[in-house]
This record gives sequence, C-alpha cells and structure tokens, in this order.
Amino acid sequence: MSSAVTSTMASDMMPLLAALFLTPILASTPIAFAWAFRKDAPWARKLPILSVFGLFVSFLITLYILFNVEEGTKYVYPWLPAFGIDFVFIFDYLSKYMGALTGLIAFLIGVYGLEYMKDDYRLGWYWFCFNLFTASMLLVVYSDNLLMLLIGWEGLGIASWGLIGHWFRDDDELSYVGNMGRKVFGLNYFWSPSFGGWRAISTIRVGDMPMFFAVAAIYAFAGNLNISEIHWETLFETLGAAGTAILLIAFLMGPFTKSAQLPFSEWLMTAMTGPTTVSALLHSATMVAAGTYLFMRISWYIEPWAFSNAGMDAVYAFVLFLGLISSLYAALLAAGMWERKVLLASSTMSSLGLMFAAAAASKWLGEFAVEVSFWYLIVHAFAKATLFLVAGHLIHVTHDRFCGGDTEVAKKMKLTFLVTAFATISLAGIPPFTAYWVKSAMDEVMHGLIEHGMALPLTLLITISIIYSAFLAKFLSLNFLKGKKVHLHLHGGGLMGAAYTVMVSMLLVLLYLIMTGQEEVAGEFFHEGFVSTSLAVGAAVTVSYFFALIKPSIPQLSTVGRVLSDRLYMPFLNDLIVPKIGWVLVAIVDVCNRGVDFFFHQAIPAFFESASKSIRKIQKGYLASYMRVTLAAVMVLLVISSIVGW
Amino acid sequence: MELIASLLIISLASIASLKYRWLGWASLVGVVILVPSQPAILLLAFLIILNMLSLELMKRSYLAGVDYGLVAFMAAATIYAIYSTDLSSLVAAFVAVSVPTYMLVMASEERARTDTGIKYITFMVLATVLFLIGVALAVFASQTGDETLYAIAFVAIVVGIAIEVGVAPFHQWVPDVFVSADAIPISIIASLAKFVPFIVAFKILSATYMGNGTLIMVVAFLAIISMFAGNIGALTSREHSRILGYSTVANMGYILATFVILSKPEFLWIAFAGALLQLFANSFGKVGFFAAIKDGGSSPALTYTLALSFIGMPPLMGFWSKVLIISSLAYSGFIWLAVIMVINSAISVPYYIRLARELGAKDIRGLAGLVVALTVIATLLTLLPGWFIDSAKALTAFIGLGGV
Amino acid sequence: MIWVLLLPALATVAAPFLKKREAMVLSFLAFFIPFLVSFYWLFTGYTLEVAIQDVVGPIGRIYIYGDSLSHAFGFTIALISAMVAVYSLPYMEHRFHEMGLDVGKEFRKYWLFYNLYAASMLWLVYAGNFILLYVFLEISLIASFLLIYMYGYGNRQWVALLYFVWTNVAGVLALIGFILIGMQNGTMAMDAIKAVGMTAWLLVFVGMLIKLPGFGPHIWLPWAHAEAPTPVSALLSPLTVGLAGYVILRVYFIDSSFIESYRIPILAYGIFTSIYAGLSVFRQKDFKRLLAYSTVSQMGYMLIGFAAGTFGVLGVVIQYISHAFGKSILFMSAGAIIAVYHGLRDVEKMGGMHEYVPTISNAALLGFMTLSGILTVGMFGEFFILKGIADIYGLSLTAILPVIVVFIISGLYSFYTMKNIFYGKPKGYETPIVSRLLDTPLYVIGIISVLLILPPLATLFLAGVKIAFGGVLP
Repeated sequence: MSSAVTSTMASDMMPLLAALFLTPILASTPIAFAWAFRKDAPWARKLPILSVFGLFVSFLITLYILFNVEEGTKYVYPWLPAFGIDFVFIFDYLSKYMGALTGLIAFLIGVYGLEYMKDDYRLGWYWFCFNLFTASMLLVVYSDNLLMLLIGWEGLGIASWGLIGHWFRDDDELSYVGNMGRKVFGLNYFWSPSFGGWRAISTIRVGDMPMFFAVAAIYAFAGNLNISEIHWETLFETLGAAGTAILLIAFLMGPFTKSAQLPFSEWLMTAMTGPTTVSALLHSATMVAAGTYLFMRISWYIEPWAFSNAGMDAVYAFVLFLGLISSLYAALLAAGMWERKVLLASSTMSSLGLMFAAAAASKWLGEFAVEVSFWYLIVHAFAKATLFLVAGHLIHVTHDRFCGGDTEVAKKMKLTFLVTAFATISLAGIPPFTAYWVKSAMDEVMHGLIEHGMALPLTLLITISIIYSAFLAKFLSLNFLKGKKVHLHLHGGGLMGAAYTVMVSMLLVLLYLIMTGQEEVAGEFFHEGFVSTSLAVGAAVTVSYFFALIKPSIPQLSTVGRVLSDRLYMPFLNDLIVPKIGWVLVAIVDVCNRGVDFFFHQAIPAFFESASKSIRKIQKGYLASYMRVTLAAVMVLLVISSIVGW
Repeated sequence: MELIASLLIISLASIASLKYRWLGWASLVGVVILVPSQPAILLLAFLIILNMLSLELMKRSYLAGVDYGLVAFMAAATIYAIYSTDLSSLVAAFVAVSVPTYMLVMASEERARTDTGIKYITFMVLATVLFLIGVALAVFASQTGDETLYAIAFVAIVVGIAIEVGVAPFHQWVPDVFVSADAIPISIIASLAKFVPFIVAFKILSATYMGNGTLIMVVAFLAIISMFAGNIGALTSREHSRILGYSTVANMGYILATFVILSKPEFLWIAFAGALLQLFANSFGKVGFFAAIKDGGSSPALTYTLALSFIGMPPLMGFWSKVLIISSLAYSGFIWLAVIMVINSAISVPYYIRLARELGAKDIRGLAGLVVALTVIATLLTLLPGWFIDSAKALTAFIGLGGV
Repeated sequence: MIWVLLLPALATVAAPFLKKREAMVLSFLAFFIPFLVSFYWLFTGYTLEVAIQDVVGPIGRIYIYGDSLSHAFGFTIALISAMVAVYSLPYMEHRFHEMGLDVGKEFRKYWLFYNLYAASMLWLVYAGNFILLYVFLEISLIASFLLIYMYGYGNRQWVALLYFVWTNVAGVLALIGFILIGMQNGTMAMDAIKAVGMTAWLLVFVGMLIKLPGFGPHIWLPWAHAEAPTPVSALLSPLTVGLAGYVILRVYFIDSSFIESYRIPILAYGIFTSIYAGLSVFRQKDFKRLLAYSTVSQMGYMLIGFAAGTFGVLGVVIQYISHAFGKSILFMSAGAIIAVYHGLRDVEKMGGMHEYVPTISNAALLGFMTLSGILTVGMFGEFFILKGIADIYGLSLTAILPVIVVFIISGLYSFYTMKNIFYGKPKGYETPIVSRLLDTPLYVIGIISVLLILPPLATLFLAGVKIAFGGVLP
C-alpha cells in the first residue's frame, strides 16, 4: 500500500487542519475559565454546548477529509525544519476512516455528556480534558511523523489521567471500582478515582518512555521520522536481528500499555472510576484502540510480509500470542465480572488483544490481516461505545454500578433494551450481523496461520469468541431480563438515548457497507462469511449467546466467578508486589540519605569543632610553655633542614 | 635623601606630639614625601592613613602622640623596603617595622599593658634573631654554594618571619596578644606590620634560592598547618579579637603559600602580586573589624562586606588576592595546595559570617563608622583588578638583591 | 539593544527606593524586557560582544559575550526572574508578617538582593571571560545566601551557611580549573582559549558536580532549597543549580575531550544520581523538600545528556529550560499553599487540595507535566537526550534501560505527588482567597512551556538553539 502513497503537498489545507485540532480546544477554554472564575454564574452551565460544538466542527472536518481528500495525500507543515522534523499529516486508508470514527464518536459522546454530566461539580475540567483528548486523538490518527504523533500520544495520556481522576474527591461510591471496603488477603480490593488516575498514568509512562526512546532511535538510525517514508527494511538490516527486536519491542511498549495488554491491564480496570462518557470514548472506542491503531499503521508501512528479519519475525509472533493470551484472559474476567463498566472494560481489553493478534498475523498473511484488524476496531468501537453509554444510563437510573435489572427495566426502557440487544448481537459475531463478517475474516486469517505451522491461534480465537458472546449476552440478560430487582429513577435521558441510538445505528451502516460491497475492503469480508469454519464458529457463538441469555449466572460456579471477577488476582502484582519493591528501594535510599546527611552535616562539623577546641587548648596563656613549643618546633625544623640539605 | 628628610619630619612631629596629641598627624607628611605615584603604594598610603585615623579612636595612650610617629616610621620603612634592593637596608627595614610594634602593643587607654608586651616582645626578639642569622647564613651560603648551610639558613629565615607574623605552629602569641591588647594598636600590628617581613623574605629568598625543592615543601607544609590551625581555631572562638587572631594565622598561611613560586622564578610577579594583595585585603579587613570592635559594632552592610572579602567573594579585594595566589600555586604546579586553600576558605565561612552578624548589629556612626566605611571602600577598589596587578608587576623590578 | 541587559542593574539600585508595588513592577520589567529581547536574539541568531577591560596574565580580556547558547539560558533566567518578582510581592509580604518584621523596610532589602541575585545569573550567561563568569556565579551565591539567611525557614542561619559552604567549595574548585585554563592558554577569555587540560577540566567538572549537584554532594540541596523563602527557592532550584550545567557546557564547547574520555562513568553517575534522587522523592513529607529532591533527579538528566554526544548536549540545553520552567512553577505552587495556609507544607496534612486551591493545583499540574515532558518543552529535552543515547550507545540495553527508568521515575513521582497533595478526599480546609499575583505568573510560564513545542515558537526556538552548536549538528 505504501507504493500508493504519493507525496502530494496540499498547501491549502492549513486552515482546515488548524481548525480540526484547535477548534475543540478553543471551544472548551471558555468553560475552563468560567469554572475557574465564575463557577456559579447561570451561564456557566450552558457553556458545554460550545464545547460540543467544537467537537462537531472537528467531526465535520474529518468527514470532509474522508470524502474529499484523495487517499495517500500528505500535508507537510514546517515544525523543526532545522532538524528535518516536520508536522506531516497523512491521509491514507487507515487514517481517513479512523479520523471520521473518532470525530463521530467523540461528538456523539459529547452530546450524551451534555445530559450525563449536567450536574457535575467540575465541568471546566471535564470538558477541557475531553476536548483536549479528542484533539490529541485526531493528531495521533492523522500524523505520519512519529514525534508529532508523540505529542498526541502524550495528550491522550494526560487527558485520560485527568478524566479518570475527574471525581478527585473520592467521595462518591458510584465512582469507585470494586466492592467498597473489601479486602483480599489484607489487600484493599477497591479503587478510588484519584487512585485510578495515578494507576493509569503510571502504567502508561512505563510504556511511553521505551516508545519515546524507540522514536529517538529511529531518528538516530533512519534519519527520518515519517512512518511512510522510512525504509524499514534497510533500517532493520542495519540494526540486525537483536537490534530490530529491541527497537520494535521498545516501540510497542507504548501500544501495549496504552491498549492494556498483559501485564499492563490493571489500569484499564481501575480506569472505570472515571465518568462513563470517558470510559466510552477513551477506554473502549479510541484511546485504548490507539495502541492497536498504531501497530496497524506501522505494519501497514513496514510491510512485514514482504521481507524477513529474524528480529522482526520474532516480535510479530510475540505480538500475535500476547494479543491472544491477553484476549483470553480478559474474556475470562468479563465472564465473571459483576460490575457493568468493569465487565465492558475487560471485554474491551479482550477485543484489543484480538486486534493485536490479527494485525500481527499480517506478517504471514499480508495486508489483508491488517484490514481485518482495522475493521474489527471500527465495529468494536461503535458497539462498545454504545454499550458503555447504555451502562452509564443504567447507572444513572439505578444508582448502582453492579449489574441488575429484571424485565421491568426492559419494559420501562424499551429503546435502551433494544439498542443493547442489537449492539450485543452485532458485536458477538452472530450471523448475519455486522461483527460476524469481520470475525469470519479473522477466523480465516487465523486459519491461514495453520499453514505456517500455528494451529493454536485459531483455537484460541474460537474459544475467545464463544466466551465473548456469552458475556455479552450475560450483560444484556443481567441488566434487562434476569437480574435482581432494581429501583428505577427515570427522568430525562432523551439526549442520552438519542446519542446511543445514533451510535448503534452506525453498525447498520457498516453492515450495509459490508453486504453491498460498497466499501471495497469490507466487501471482501462478505465472502469469508460463507466459508465453513466461519459458519461453524458463527453457530457456536450463537448457541453460547442464547445459553448465556437464558442462564446469565451459574451459582455452582460462583467460586470460579469470584476468582475471575477478582481478575485472577492480577491486582496483587500492581498493588502489592511492584509497590513493595518500590518502597523497599525508597527505604534504602532514605537510609542512605540520612547517612550522607549525617556524615556531611553532623560528623564533619563535629570533627572540626573538636579539632578547633584542641587547637585552642594550646593557648594556656603561659609564655614559658609557648616558648618551649616554639623552640622545639624551631629545632625540629632546623634538624630537618640540615638533613634535607645534606 | 627623601628618606632622611622623611625620618626627620617624623621625629620632629613625634616630639611635638608629646605636647599635643594631634600634632602626631604631622608625621604623615614624612610618609607622603616618600610615596611615589605607583598605584600599589598609593593603596598602601591609604592603609596608613586608615591606621592613623583609627588611632584617633583611642582617647589617650601612654605613648601620648608618639604612636602616630611610630606608625609613620613603620610606614616609611615599609615603603623603603619595597623599593630597596640593598641587603642591609632590607634587614634594617625589618627591624624598623618590628621595634615600634613593641611599644604599640602595650598601648591602651588605661595603662601600658606590660604583660601583653612581654609575651609579644619575647617572640619578636626570637623572630628577629632567627631572621638575622638566617639572612647572614643564606647570603654566605649562596656565595659559597654550600647547600646544607643554605637549607638551615632558608629554614631560619622562614621560621623567623613565621614567628614574626604568626604562622602556625609558631602562632601561640597571636590569639593571646590579640585578645589582651587594645583593639587599635593590634589592628596596626595585624595590618601594616605584616608587609615588611614578607617583602624582605621574598627579596632575600628569591635572590639566594638554590633550587632545593624539599625546602619549598617545608614552606608549603607550614602554610597548610597555618591555614588549618587558623581557620579551625577560629571556628569555635567566642571573643571577636580571638577570631581575628586566628584569622590572621590563616591569612599568613595563605601568603606564605605564595613562596612556593620560588621554584618558578619567571612567574614571581604573580605570586608577589597575590601576596601583596592578600596583605592588603587582610589589612583592610582587620582595620575595619578592629575599629568596629573598638566601637562595639557597626552597620551590617559594612561588616558583611568585610567578611565576604575575607572569605574571598568576588568582586571584593579578598577574591582577587585569592585568584592571584591560586594562580601562583597553579603556575608552580601546586594544584593540591590550591585545593587545600579552597577547603580552608570553606571552613572559614561560618566564623566570618558569625563575626559579621555579631558586629553588624548597629548603625554607622562617628569616626569608627567612617573608618569601617573606608575599609569597605578599599575592598572595592580592586573591582577591576588590572591596575593593581600591573602596578605590582612593576614593583617586582625591585625584587632581588643588589651587591650580593 | 544591548543596554537592556543593564536594566536589572537599574532595578537593583532603584527598587529599594520605591514603594513595594512599584518596586515589583520595576523589577518585573527589568527582567521581562530582557526576556523578550534575548528571546528575539535567540531567534535571530544574534551575537553580541562588548569589551570591558584587558587584563594581563592568566585573566586576559574581560568582555561581555552573548551567542545563541547565552540567549537560550538568558531568556529562561530573565523570564523566570520576572515572574518570580511578581510572585514575590504577595509571598514576601506574608513572610514578613509571619516573621514580625516591618514590611516596608524589609522589602527594600529584599528587592536589592533579589534583583542582584537574578541579575548576576543573567549576566553570568553573558560573560565572555571565565573569571567574569565566576564573579557573577559568586555574586549570585552571596545574594541568595543573604536572602536565605534573612528570610529562610527553620534553622535558617545554619542552612544558609551550609549552602554557602557547599557552593563556595564548588565555585572555588571551578575557579582553580579556570585558572589552570588561563595558565595553559595565557587567557581566560572564552574566544581565545584553545585547549583545556585534563586537570583543569576535572576541577571545573567536580566543582560543578557539587553545585549541580550529583549524588553525594546532593545532600546540601534539599536543605537549602526547602528552607529558602519560596521566591528564592523558585530561582535557586530552577536557575542557579542548572547554571553549573551552563558552565560545563561552555567548557565543553571549547574542548570536549574530558567528557568524551569519561563518557561511561559520567553516564553511570548521572543515571545513579537521577534514579537515587527520584526514589528519594517518594519518601519526602515536606513539599518543598520533595521538589528539591526532584531537582537533583532532574540535574541527573543533565549529566546523562553530557554523556550522550552532541544531541545529548542539545538535550542538556533544553532540559535546563524545561526544568527551569517546571520547577519554578512547582516551587511557586508550594509557596502559594504556604502563603494562603500560613506555612502548610507537610504533604501528609494535604490531600484533596484541588478542592480549595484549584488554580494552584492546575498550575502544579503544568509544572509536573513540564518535568515529565508531557505536552511541554520537556519533551524535546528528553527526545534529544534519548537520540544522543542512541547515537552513542546504539541499542545496548545496559545504556538504554537505566535511562528509560530515569525518565519513568520522573513521571511516576510527579503524578504520585499530584495525587497525594491535590486529589483524594479533601481534608476540610477553608477555601482561601488566592491573590492573583500568586497564580498568574505560574500560568504565564506554563503556557510558554506548552507553546514552545508548537510552531511557530518551536520552529524558531530549536533553530535558534541549534545555531549555538555551529556546524556540529547535522
């Protein structure tokens, strides 16, 4: 595909791009200022509309880019010309779709947020971070230059931190993750928003810094930072197998942490302490997907299928299995999870693992695998964002973050129920709904790996798909059909309902594109849906879905469920082992500091003080004793001098 | 010719001042006619005037007005020593600066402090004797080329001036005398009286030095002991005069350290300039501090400036002198000695700051205030040190002994 | 336009005679105008030179010299000094009240020493002769020493002395080095020095390591920076210690032999210092002491940069700027809390402070972002240091892993501190009225820090810094 990229310079795009990134930020500054200075003014609570308008403008521009900008166009704006580093915007197959997706989802969730967040105590912060996030995401999506991408990347990190820890007061049970006050083996098993934010940024930093180094190293060795222009093959050749592996792993540490792959998954779970809108936008549709998106993007231009390098091949195999194992792990968690949002977060992590795996398969199966992965990203984004928005709405009306609701809920909230049902069915991969076709293509990709001696991926994928489908049905069932009885506080909700209805309807649009072949790439998936493996998997998934719908919880397995909902005790790594090691180091350092401080600031002065006293002791005041000392010293010196002179 | 005229004027003025104390000032004329238009000497003249001004702070003394004459006499000897290359004149100057201090040290407002005087004089006599023996032997040895004898002579000269100015371990008299004598006379002993021993030793040693590196090490060794003994001794001293006494010991160590340049005669000028400027920095600081002690304190701005000059903070005089001394050490390859100096200047920080704080608790007033202010101005005179270095370099033309 | 460098001198002399508010405005302008001018000089690559005096011997020609390197440091110093001057007014007023001193009278002294302190740092980077540079180094030491001595916290006289002794040793060791350079070349004028011997290099380097400081001597910094009155901390920590890096840079540009020969030990020492100090941050109970340890950690970056070739050294320059921005914001945030809560600085007594002082909290966030290189100029610093590491050490894991850990730790303690101080359950304080002078300066610095990564400022800024490296950079 990179051959298709032409280095066209569209010079008239400057204002458009400036508007794309700056409008959301500028549109949210009024409320940020209002909240700092005039929080209680009546007009202050109307300003979010302006922020959403900014998101809308961005959305329109992404649409314009999708439809009017020729694929393969690049736009260069000078940034650091002295170092050969510029703002390079690229409009290729991936970025055009991803941009429009980001724009649309951000806008819809923005609309939803107008209602969801209307009584919040910290709107300035919320909207500024939300819009900053959107702009950063768009920057990541459209950038070809890695350093420029890093600006967006860091923007994602900081905005995500800000939004997860939005309810910084930690005073609302609804904003926690885990059962309040619960302890497992002495460890607190619940997490507050301020902690969730810290967990998120600390994990992400661990990945971002190696990635940052990798970018710097690419600049050092390739002399260029534009993904589409680097001669990856030559670069890898110069670095050798080990060098390539180090570079790629360092680079992928960013995507791994951002997309919450093992063992960096915990932050995504505790990130559910943020407002639901945030979970929907950041932690399902866009930011966490940015990691997989970046992996797809570099694979798109590295073209790993076109050449062989021991280091690179090993890394792709590693990503393949890391993705699948993470996915399986997360699917299992979701199956045992009771908290609405954490369930969805685990399922997101599972999907992200699949995206990594599919994209990594491109090493053996070519570009098609990347396309499959990318389309799965799109489908997943709309479906999962819908489910999150629904979850948010349910939390609002039930004042409960745990699954619950019987058929009364389905009756009273028909639209919500239907939307949820459609989203789960579409995402689970039940034929002939949207995800089925994409999943089929994914089955085929994994199937293709058998020829390369890897049978495990397909097995894992099928297992994951079945569990995935089951917990989606469980989510539907426990919230609308067979859950515990809940008390509903129904009021308003129109704007929220509208937002997720539009969101879910996008799945129909995608289905249309696939079935009609209007979209060339997606059209290909249609054929994969009729391959026997796909049909078999589809059938299995359907059975699993309906089984779980009827029997959403199995009391006999409650112990297993507990282990799963305790996330297989992964928090012990994050909350106990790593911090303990850290605190031991900190304690050692502290002792060291005390020692050094004592040495320089107590011991040395004390030494001088006692030396001073002994020097002053010579002053007895008696001339005779002075004379004795002096004459003795004179004699000694004279003797020495005569020896010296000899 | 001028010298004789000068001495005549000083003598007459001293006799006159026995009647009227203020007539002692007339002896200044005797000094003035000796002063050439060399900037470094003008600075010396400034110091002399400050010394005489601070004498005004003593309401009376057993010397009546003769103390002015004594200072003038020392001044004349100092200026003469700088210009003379004649061995006998140098030795004479050495004695001429030493003897008046015997009388000055006993001066106080109440009575002659003979106990202090005895302690001081004993040491000075020993110093003078050693020095004179050393000089005689050195000149003889350098002419005969007897290295053994020269080594003894060298050490005798160094020890002689060490006792004279108070280099450790020959410093025992310093803290006692500084504490027990009156502040004003001791300020003169701590300032003006220090020049001649070093200048004379510089001249004689550089003319006779025979290239024995171990002797240089002896000097360096003495310098180090003195620096440490002075600075560490001052750390826990309480009385201000005692602190200044130890500070003198330390400063004499710094100056003595410049003698290591003997091994690199081509850079003698830089060591000479450094030693001279350090003598000035030390003198102005001592005069200022003792005037403040006499008056029971001074303004903090002034005392802190003096303290910072002592510590060696730019752009004050004490900084440039240290730069020059360190340069001379570097030129002679004694970088380690320079590093030891650094450690010493760090040790000295606490007590100088303490001194500045304790003395700087008042407002400026009266004559003492004027004296302190003038010393502060003096430390700022070398803000741009070019003129002084040039002048000191010019004076090195008079280093060396004619007729030896 | 060179005369603008004399504005701080004017302020030093004139401010003590003005009323406190007018003195503040004058001091602000006296640094803000030089900031604008040196910023402009940086962009245009202007070089200035003014002769002062020819001195014999090892000292040589004394003159004022400014190239892109000077401007890069100069604009930072001028900007921070201007902003801290504004901030000083409410803060020191609080401090004088707290100490029971006469506000009007003390402000006279304060402005004198404050302006002298800031001005000497500004002039330091425009000194063309090492002896002149040293003079300004020590003047800044005296002025800051006196400010700590008079208005510091805790056992302030002891702390001030401790600060004086350490930095005096540092300075004088470097002075011996300069003198050796002068001896070797016959001059200390920067443009005439041809080579720097190893002993001289070692002395300068060790001296500046004490001032920077590296591990070992680092122990003085938490005392001095934590107990200084906050506006002084906000100059001391961001500007003064980093100037040690400037001194090393100046020598490096003349003769980089020493650094090149001892690259590995310097790198190892830098990494150790940085990780060690970074870990120390976690244990600190005092907000300002915590920030002081963070300074030590950030100064470790500088050492790492020096060991990372030309790009690493470019990283050092940017690191100085970013650390100055970040740390001045943070010290001022800490000070703002001290000022509005009458001496509250114990981290354990804080928590949820965002509830009460949201503007300070958000400013502190900008500060920590700058330190950890997120969306701010700090990003370039890290980028160039990493690029330098890749240039020199390739993909050797033993070099890159520790450096990455260093950068990670900065991010970790930054946000850990944010969480502990500003977020979490509010501790039930009153919501205070925060003077606008206590927070606006922080935002000005923070916004410039963000703008410096975006065109057009980034373009001009990095092109300007590159000029300092002459033809060395590709």
